[in-house]
Amino acid sequence: MSEKDLGQKWDRCLADSAIKFGTGLGLGIVFSVVFFKRRTWPIVFGSGLGLGMAYSNCQNDLRSHYVLHSKVAKEQ
Amino acid sequence: MAAKILPVIKFATKVTIAGGALYVAYDSGLLGDGKEGSVALGRAKAAVPPAVEEWMKYFGFELPATPKIEFSPLDAWNSGVQKSIHALSVAPSTVSDYTKQGFQYVKDLTK
Repeated sequence: MSEKDLGQKWDRCLADSAIKFGTGLGLGIVFSVVFFKRRTWPIVFGSGLGLGMAYSNCQNDLRSHYVLHSKVAKEQ
Repeated sequence: MAAKILPVIKFATKVTIAGGALYVAYDSGLLGDGKEGSVALGRAKAAVPPAVEEWMKYFGFELPATPKIEFSPLDAWNSGVQKSIHALSVAPSTVSDYTKQGFQYVKDLTK
């Protein structure tokens, strides 16, 4: 993996983390106001979910260079 | 009869709102891959100026033009990293120079 690819992957990771954190926060706020009587824990839970999804995406993206990719041949 | 249905309607409204928010997030690719996320971010950035203009026309007043910020965090960070590492790499020779100068100064004082 070249330095340029690595840099782009890290940029994608950071942007993705920000987006997922914001989405999780927003959805947490919506759920907290609508269902859970404006408590704090859905907001924290949503943000945590977002960060976790971003971490998992980053991990897969950074590993994808070293993982064997295969295709299933169609049966004739 | 209305009193019995009202809680059900309230609950159904809440489910609709929350489910709608969840569906919008899923549909715009915010919950998907990193690449989809950056596509969604690009779309949002492109959609903000026309939306702001629409709101301005609706309300009938002009927002002050956003000042163009010339600061780039990426460049600042990169130059910061380069300067720190350069400083670390020349640190031993700089320290030895300063100690030599210090010794020379003290020697000159004691002459």
